[in-house]
Amino acid sequence: MAAGFKTADLLEYYRRFLKENCRPDGRVLLEFRPTTLNIGSISTADGSALVKVGNTTIICGIKAELATPTVEAPGKGYIVPNVDLPPLCSSRFRPGPPGEPAQACSQFIADLIESSEIIQTDDLCVERGKLCWVLYCDLMCLDYDGNLRDACVIALLAALKNTQLPEAVISTETHLPVVDLEKRHGLKVCKHPVASSFCIFDESTLIVDPTDEEENLSTARITVVTEEGDRLCAVHKPGGMSLSGQKLQECINRATVRQKEIQKLTDKVLSSVKTS
Amino acid sequence: MQQARRAGDHTNMVFHFLLHGHIMHTTSWFLFFPGEKLCSAEDCVLGTGVYLRHGYIHSSLAGYVVRKSEGKELPMISVVRGTELQLLPDVGAIVTCKVTSINPRFAKVHILKVGSTSLKDHFKGTIRKEDVRATEKDKVEIYKSFRPGDIVLAKVMSLGNVESSYLLTTAENELGVVVAHSESGAVMVPISWSEMQCPLTYAKELRKVARVQAKHLEA
Amino acid sequence: MPTDTKRVRGPDVSQSPSLFVCQPADGVSPQGPRADGRRRDQVDVRPVFVRCGLVSQAKGSAYIEAGNTKLMCCVYGPRETERKDETDMKCGRLTTDMRFAPFSCPERGSWIQGSQEKDFSTMLQESLQPAVCLHKYPRSQIEVNMMVLENSGSVLAHAITCASLALADAGIEMYDLVLGCSLRQNGASYVADPTSAEENDRGPDQSRNQGSLTVAFLPSLNQISGLQSDGEMSEDTLTAGVRTCIEGCYKLYPLVQQVLSRCVSRAACAPPPR
Repeated sequence: MAAGFKTADLLEYYRRFLKENCRPDGRVLLEFRPTTLNIGSISTADGSALVKVGNTTIICGIKAELATPTVEAPGKGYIVPNVDLPPLCSSRFRPGPPGEPAQACSQFIADLIESSEIIQTDDLCVERGKLCWVLYCDLMCLDYDGNLRDACVIALLAALKNTQLPEAVISTETHLPVVDLEKRHGLKVCKHPVASSFCIFDESTLIVDPTDEEENLSTARITVVTEEGDRLCAVHKPGGMSLSGQKLQECINRATVRQKEIQKLTDKVLSSVKTS
Repeated sequence: MQQARRAGDHTNMVFHFLLHGHIMHTTSWFLFFPGEKLCSAEDCVLGTGVYLRHGYIHSSLAGYVVRKSEGKELPMISVVRGTELQLLPDVGAIVTCKVTSINPRFAKVHILKVGSTSLKDHFKGTIRKEDVRATEKDKVEIYKSFRPGDIVLAKVMSLGNVESSYLLTTAENELGVVVAHSESGAVMVPISWSEMQCPLTYAKELRKVARVQAKHLEA
Repeated sequence: MPTDTKRVRGPDVSQSPSLFVCQPADGVSPQGPRADGRRRDQVDVRPVFVRCGLVSQAKGSAYIEAGNTKLMCCVYGPRETERKDETDMKCGRLTTDMRFAPFSCPERGSWIQGSQEKDFSTMLQESLQPAVCLHKYPRSQIEVNMMVLENSGSVLAHAITCASLALADAGIEMYDLVLGCSLRQNGASYVADPTSAEENDRGPDQSRNQGSLTVAFLPSLNQISGLQSDGEMSEDTLTAGVRTCIEGCYKLYPLVQQVLSRCVSRAACAPPPR
């Protein structure tokens, strides 16, 4: 009967669960799905991480390349994040150029990198006005079950912390760059922002870490990004149902707890990668 | 291989019972892979999940073998997988669909389920005006039979042709609208074969109502 | 030059740091043991790690890891064909899409599908098609999506194995599983399941018998569904190479069966749909 009811009226099916303060997958309203992290699994990338939030799986690979800095910012490098939702990850995505969800998520990540200064782009400069590093951060979804943004941010931060840049200098004789792939150093990651996404059901019910189904049924979405020291970094609410200040505070409170959990998880996995 | 087969053994009785509901004469419970030889074509009749090649029956799925023997005929051999029985709507299958749009000539639907199996990808279907009910076909009006959003039980008539989608029919008492929402948004209660009533406003709306049967209840 | 407005763009030109390395890396030595300790002229394939059914959204999926080569495959469908003119009333369609993740190769790749990826997609499709009972899926299409997460050689061969596992996991009817194996011929000697360094190694003598070979094999029916060969090889060498590849496929078969049986018995244990 349950399966039949679910096909007939999905929204009503969810409402019955939410009335009892739980969700069809057994979670309570403000519970995240189990989150696992694997760092450094791709050896062809300079830094990589694979994150799973419930079913949602994101892999992030960072490749460093050399380029000339822009004239406006001669002492800075580039960070180029791109999110891809290939047809592999869900039946709703088609092959071809990235669709709106992928573009929106790429822009969200790019804004986050720029505004929160996770990495000082000055650190990516090799020689002022002549040579700098470009970090191509390619995020790819392998299994799309909602809450893309949270998973992307976790994967990006873990991959950045895993990145080892080769040593590069400009030779004084030939004026050409010289790279030593054996000597590598890590990146200085100054901040650790963590995103927490929420969905609003029927004007009042707030749930965290929505699945794909929940995202489609909800009336509004909100993403809160916080940093260490309980500092708020970004709030993203693209329209939808309006939200009371009290509810927003509830979101922020949950997000700060989540930030600590994820930072702890990332550091734990990173240290286990280093020791092994 | 041997190990794998043993591991599958104990789950099968339960699993098989769930699939078929009633006990049949069954034998071996082995796991087979696509391409594996099951038996000679003289020993068994082909069921599902198998194919015939050079006089032998081979498996075309990774799954368990089910031998069904009824009476004195040769047993029918099939390979079954478990949860998903059917992937595509067949002619004669009862399907659950959702009405997406209507016009004076036909209603367009999305097929959600075949039998009791939910389809991951939705197939499009069409219920033409003349296939709505069995009697007084010329007086059928689509507007008085379906509305977009209704959940309908229907039977597959044909796979259609290249241009059209699956052709469905509701011309049986057991087929037709099973779930419908009134204009105020509440789930309506059927009151006759052609009317449903809203529990909030008591307004009546016209539908081709299905006589819901116990075996279709879960749809 | 058209600009890509749908992605975050970096600088117009950037170069891989490996172009500026002071001393070039050593080539692969044509004699002696291989870099990863495997033996030459033997069917010494890399140990494989395979899993089925990892992707929740797909009908069937498989992940394969051979050495550092990592591939992920998802199968969707059968679903309605998107374009009316591609609908076949008697027979289903099998579509394949194979891509390399931008970070999968030593040099960063583009997001846009290159000609190599299109070639691989076609070869994958041709190798799989004979094994799938397409007549059982009229007017619909089955989609095979392959993603190369890390390329460390023999990508096509492993993609074939991975895709056939994903199809079996999806419950798509098949005449047989399809297994893939490749080798690299270098003069008189060969290496089975080559790494990317070995694949690109041209060897010291530019003489005869230089080439790569990939075979797609149906193990139960003992048939070859796909064969792809590059370079120049004598008839005898090629025949011997095909035999070696078949032997390599048989080495994979028990493992593939084990993985499939695990995923089928797990599906049967799952609560029945009610």
